[in-house]
Amino acid sequence: MYAYNQFDQTLVDQRVEQYRDQTRRYLAGEIPEDEFRILRLMNGLYIQRLAPMLRVAVPYGLMKSQQLRTLAQISRTYDKGYGHFTTRQNMQFNWPTLESVPDILADLAKVQMHAIQTSGACIRNTTTDPFAGVSADEIEDTRPWCEMIRQWSTLHPEFAYLPRKFKIAVSGSSSDRAASQVHDIGLHLYRNKAGEMGFEVLVGGGLGRTPVIGKTVRNFLEPQELLSYLDAVLRVYNLNGRRDNKYKARIKILVNAVGIEAFAKMVEEEWQFTKGKDLRLPQAEIERVKGFFKAPDYLSVEHSQSNLKAECEAHPQFATWYKQNTRDHKQPGYRIVVVGLKNQLQAPGDVSHQQMDGIADLADEFSFSELRSTHDQNLVLADVAQRDLLDLWLKLADIGMARANIGTLTDMINCPGLDFCSLANAETLILSRQINETFDDMDYQYELGEIQLKISGCINACGHHHVGHIGILGVEKGGKQVYQFTLGGSAANDASLGKTLGRSIDQDQVVVVIGQILDVYVQQRETDETFLQTVRRIGFAPFKERVYGTHQRSAA
Amino acid sequence: MALIKDQQLSTRHTATPKIRLVDWLGDDLTTCDAVLTSGADDLTSLITNASKLSVIAIEFDTFADGRGFSMARLLRRAGYQGEIRAVGDVAMDRIEFMHRVGFNAFELRDDQDAAQALAKLGEVTVHFQPSADGKGPAYMM
Repeated sequence: MYAYNQFDQTLVDQRVEQYRDQTRRYLAGEIPEDEFRILRLMNGLYIQRLAPMLRVAVPYGLMKSQQLRTLAQISRTYDKGYGHFTTRQNMQFNWPTLESVPDILADLAKVQMHAIQTSGACIRNTTTDPFAGVSADEIEDTRPWCEMIRQWSTLHPEFAYLPRKFKIAVSGSSSDRAASQVHDIGLHLYRNKAGEMGFEVLVGGGLGRTPVIGKTVRNFLEPQELLSYLDAVLRVYNLNGRRDNKYKARIKILVNAVGIEAFAKMVEEEWQFTKGKDLRLPQAEIERVKGFFKAPDYLSVEHSQSNLKAECEAHPQFATWYKQNTRDHKQPGYRIVVVGLKNQLQAPGDVSHQQMDGIADLADEFSFSELRSTHDQNLVLADVAQRDLLDLWLKLADIGMARANIGTLTDMINCPGLDFCSLANAETLILSRQINETFDDMDYQYELGEIQLKISGCINACGHHHVGHIGILGVEKGGKQVYQFTLGGSAANDASLGKTLGRSIDQDQVVVVIGQILDVYVQQRETDETFLQTVRRIGFAPFKERVYGTHQRSAA
Repeated sequence: MALIKDQQLSTRHTATPKIRLVDWLGDDLTTCDAVLTSGADDLTSLITNASKLSVIAIEFDTFADGRGFSMARLLRRAGYQGEIRAVGDVAMDRIEFMHRVGFNAFELRDDQDAAQALAKLGEVTVHFQPSADGKGPAYMM
């Protein structure tokens, strides 16, 4: 993966000292509250309901084992011994003190990490496919491009005070695992008919209060001009995005207001000034960055394999885990292993310091000392030789991380909700607990197949509920926490926004309603049909009938 | 109020321009060579007529309004060589970015310590982007 040179290190070190001085002046009363708010947000520090929350950047979800150990150490020293992985592949600490943040940042800088632009109205952490570089269906590795975007967007002087936050996702496979259609900019690396590699550029997607699927603003972008084109989009947005209402300030509102053709024209006009100039990426720079993402020293097929069939027969639970939690690798004899952060005892995405240290050790032992975080709040060991899988599985079980539920109902996305977040209207963690207690029969979950359940505690949609096959949105009505269900959403290639099922559901009825929805699916599905396919085929009526026809109106 | 210009504390400088861009454009353009503008103004007219001006003051009603950053950048790109002055809600924590996009003068908010602010220019010495001073990103060096 990318390693800092002296230049990167200097930038991060100087940024730590800059923020240290800002914190000192704030505590001395020299920076007004509202102004410091913006400064701390640009460094990932929120003030939550109970304590500050620090969001640490994990650029495009890629980490070295040593970096994860540092996160574990930070959680022990400055927090309560755990962290939380987010849908932007970042890590959040929920209990640091405001005064300790400069020291945390200094610790992070020592392992080439930071919290720059993990919040605020600026360009946020670029996200990508957690299987980039290893997936069997990959067209081109997205990580070098993410790194070039990371560099360009870091401390960008012109785009630090945008109308609103700005998120970029990059996908380079036939399957979109980066939710690229619901980002401010989605980039699709692909090969055109002439065989040239380039980007399809989508703009104006997003979730939140006004969910929108992104629209294509350019069919094919020569990769060398990636930064000049992004620069043009950002400038058009910075000058023309709405600033009078923060709920209408995202680029999707601008794109919808002027129309995609007119927006594309504005970008093209601006781009004429910058195309082919100093933002054009020199081939040598592209090659330099690509050099950091070369394939590791894989074993040959003869050496990487063992008798998988016999191992599976001897250990049925291993066989289940293999099927559920590992994925095809482009290198014969290797598997991608998803390490779930969705067990029965912890909130989705939470990871204890012991688990972080444990996974770091396993990454060292089995996966070239690297790991990834995923947008659905899990971790990935991307390069595991097939012969090591049984050993890895046993060791994961030792640290409580071998639950074979990836892609199932309980592998849900969940924002922290009202337990932590000052924006939330409703609790979400109680729902994940209830769901885990109610649907604890794994055979039933396997029977249901792939279901993406996504839960947000407020309209800001950090839990991506709009694109859940089943989405749940917590709202407050008359002092009571109630939950709106949506069905039929997807963030994959067939991206769609879920539609509201009907009136809100009381908190204690949520698992009942999930059960009813699943019953309808099981009764109505055709052979091999997934939940999403069934919803799309049969429509909402049978679900409405089952949920609302059988019990009394449960919330106003 | 304190003014930093060309990376020095300036003791002798012109007052904040009072004529707003829209009035200047509507009037005889030669009456003065210093205007006050902001993110809400028509940037194209400003750029077209910029060569007639020696001072363009870009006002920040609120520090969160980032349009002024792109305005300065576009003025410099169009070849404007006069003074671009940041006025309004201007504090030391933003002047380094302002400097990099093309501002060369900063009228600091009254609560700001000018000497401290001056030290903020160059707090981060390495950049990943080309900037108005012609310095390219790392990979161009």
